[in-house]
Amino acid sequence: MSEAHIGVARPRIDAPDKVTGATKFGADGYVHGLLHARLVLSTEAHARIRAIHGDDALSVPGVVAVLTAADLPTATTGTDRAAEPLAREEVVFAGQPVAMVVAETEAAAEDGAEVVMVELETLPPVVDLEDAMRPGSALARLVEKAEGGSDLESIHAGVDHGQEDAEQEQLSANVLDRVQRKNGDAAAALDASEVVVFGTFRTPWVYQAYLEPQVATTWLEPSGTLVVSTGTQGSFVSRKELARAFGLPLDRVRVVAEPLGGSFGGKLALIEPLAAGATLALRRPVRLVLTRGEDFLATNPASAQVTHLRVGARKDGTFTGIEARMLVDRGTNAGWGVEGITSSLLVGPYRWEAHDIVGYGIQTNRFTFGAYRAPGAPTAAFALESLLDELAEKLGIDPIEIRLRNAVVEGDIGISGNAYPTIGAVEVLERIREHPLWSARASLPENEGIGFAAGYWPGGNEPAAAICRVDTDGTMTVVTSSVDMSGVDTGFAVIAAAAFGLDPNKVRVVFADTATGPYSGASGGSKVTYTVGKAVEGAARAARVKVLAAASQELEIAPDDLEVVDGVVRAIGAPDRSITVEEIVGKALRYGGRYEPIEGHGGSAQTRGAPSVAAHLSHVRVDRDTGEVELLRHVIAQDVGRALNPALVEGQMRGGAAQGMGWALFERLDHDEDGRLLTGSFLDYAIPVAERVPEIDTLIVEVPAPDGPFGAKGIGEAPVVGAAPAISNAVAAATGVRIHELPMTPPRVWQALRQDSGPTETPA
Amino acid sequence: MLEPLQLVVNGERRSLDVEPRTLLVHALRDGLGLTGAHIGCDTSQCGACTVLLDGRAVKSCTLLALQAEGAEITTIESLASDGEMHPIQRSFVENHGLQCGFCTPGLILTATDLLSRDPDPSDDTIRHSLRGNFCRCTGYETIVESIRAAGAEMRGSVGR
Repeated sequence: MSEAHIGVARPRIDAPDKVTGATKFGADGYVHGLLHARLVLSTEAHARIRAIHGDDALSVPGVVAVLTAADLPTATTGTDRAAEPLAREEVVFAGQPVAMVVAETEAAAEDGAEVVMVELETLPPVVDLEDAMRPGSALARLVEKAEGGSDLESIHAGVDHGQEDAEQEQLSANVLDRVQRKNGDAAAALDASEVVVFGTFRTPWVYQAYLEPQVATTWLEPSGTLVVSTGTQGSFVSRKELARAFGLPLDRVRVVAEPLGGSFGGKLALIEPLAAGATLALRRPVRLVLTRGEDFLATNPASAQVTHLRVGARKDGTFTGIEARMLVDRGTNAGWGVEGITSSLLVGPYRWEAHDIVGYGIQTNRFTFGAYRAPGAPTAAFALESLLDELAEKLGIDPIEIRLRNAVVEGDIGISGNAYPTIGAVEVLERIREHPLWSARASLPENEGIGFAAGYWPGGNEPAAAICRVDTDGTMTVVTSSVDMSGVDTGFAVIAAAAFGLDPNKVRVVFADTATGPYSGASGGSKVTYTVGKAVEGAARAARVKVLAAASQELEIAPDDLEVVDGVVRAIGAPDRSITVEEIVGKALRYGGRYEPIEGHGGSAQTRGAPSVAAHLSHVRVDRDTGEVELLRHVIAQDVGRALNPALVEGQMRGGAAQGMGWALFERLDHDEDGRLLTGSFLDYAIPVAERVPEIDTLIVEVPAPDGPFGAKGIGEAPVVGAAPAISNAVAAATGVRIHELPMTPPRVWQALRQDSGPTETPA
Repeated sequence: MLEPLQLVVNGERRSLDVEPRTLLVHALRDGLGLTGAHIGCDTSQCGACTVLLDGRAVKSCTLLALQAEGAEITTIESLASDGEMHPIQRSFVENHGLQCGFCTPGLILTATDLLSRDPDPSDDTIRHSLRGNFCRCTGYETIVESIRAAGAEMRGSVGR
């Protein structure tokens, strides 16, 4: 086994196809006899459906059908988006699909959708999060429907729901979930603290804004199997959801994951049920490609959140108590919300003597909540890291130093009562403190500031399997059912090559579908490299055992005395006694061959997580006349376990930081008081463009994950977490004014600068 | 009602019949199978559908197919020649200027236009030229590097 190829920056395997336009994304493939679907979306946030008139649409040339909920052969009565692809009886958000026009062309489908008449009886919309939880609030959903049994939460993070507090609060039935995490007496710890700070922090609904709108294409094979070609983060998850939604046996659903044009948590069994429902109803191939406008309205962005937070410290900077109430907007998602994750992440990668954190999952008539890169973490970090800077300031301790004094290390007990596994918090903080930008903060021009913040993501686990096959040309094919996201295939190639003893350029990686491939969970929770990568390592090692056994017979040397180096099996210490892998495979894969095929199967089932910590420095200039925050420079340091391919790791770090800049300065999905979306296009919803994103320095820190492949782990989510609070802390450093609400748009900053920096809001 | 349309696409004369309302991007994708032009928005913000029209980068969702009558269109599919990637394409591969790749064809064609007019652009100029091309994955830095390096290589090859 050679690790020579690990840690070398190499281009993505998929890059040549992507730069030449050869990659076929979900909307690009040709399907014979394809019909096109267009959605009719509710214009009301909350309403009862009186009637849907499709006659005019049916008279449009090319329109084949107008489908409503009653036309789809759904098998369950739940309210999740798979169980209820088209609204039945009650509409619960503006943008909810209520009907679908299916036509021979996209244009005809669009013409038809425009003339579908939907009669709605308006109901009081529940739009304000804090109002929604009060007893007596109008309810966001009136019609009771049985639970659908979706388990999408488990894809993103393993979260327990804490313990229930005995004391009962008076809450509206809009509060679907209340989790409490408590250890020790937080109030007493805060009372005994030398310094206590508090604040209320607000974050809006934020859109994943993947560049490729959601797409699914479905058809029936002659056998009756439903084939679903889709941009999904998890083919097996999509299969399970579709089988459940339509009452089909698992083996009658075949999900083929197409290359994803970005996803970030947002593409998982959301629109497949619409296309599948149409195909099952009409027995024809159907493609549904959302327009960007539909994608804004009808998909599943990250939820708005309000965090009331109080933290304390002793004079020496030791953190004492942390107390919080976290209000999480689930929109219409009855199945899960991020209150479980965000309440567990609020403590950050720090030790606390006592904590008492309550999270509420509250339904409103806004969107269906969904996951977005490190769900629940950026919102928690914004609140915590803002207040930690205030603690540091009040105590006169350097902001990084105070965090270092409290940073968790392996073995410390976390909020769930479990000991932390290997975690690189201290290493990351120490590394970024050495960056010259941090020491530059003492000598800045007026209205400039440098802020620091850290963030972390616990990482996910899910058993996975992989197959490695070596062909007669000496090349290896790695098969997994993972999906094309963040360059994991390029990582798999390096892992397989190192574990077997091959040049990575001789490894192909194939993404199989649910009918043909070994099991992989969804690509979510930063677990693919850690878990599927581990399975790939196992598969390559198993194939290596086969090639050593065969070579042992050929060379008459015991397998233990052989090594595989760059595709050659040779005697350790006597490299001229050798045989190529190619030659051995040639002796195996033929009629009358002598050896078993050189193939291996590998699996993984880690139980320890592999958390990743990322820290940020942000250098900003604030224009006091306009309130505009200009990002001048950004630094991110992250513990990545082991950088299998530093170029791709840096790509994740920079990309995550840039999305955090969007959280910080630009992005907000806003509704009017009736619950209609005000920011439903890229004209109204700003994502970071090249001119607004500064240079981003990357500092890779490697604290190997003991259970990961060659020490590697999932690293995609951690980099987004601490970016916004670093920018907010930079704004505070530049102006002396702390902003408590994201995004920090010019009007908001301008207003804050004009108000007294005055008293912070009252504690919860 | 279909109207006849003549275009020169990637150096070949192409004839097709389109509805008057058909956008150029739909004519290229659905009519000619050139799916390297991607559709990322419906408000002409994202730039994923960028092609070259008579040598200049345009978002192919901003004009009707019929408005392009007689024009020379270059799509990402023809940028490589004789199996050799264009220096800008190669530079995006080598400098990791892509992740999901959905925005990449548009970015490369925008860069092609930029470098044809300004062979040695500053980083600020590059970033400014990309204001109509969104990328959600990379944070742009490696894209800027890719274009800068491609410019350097193309200048060098002109001198050779």
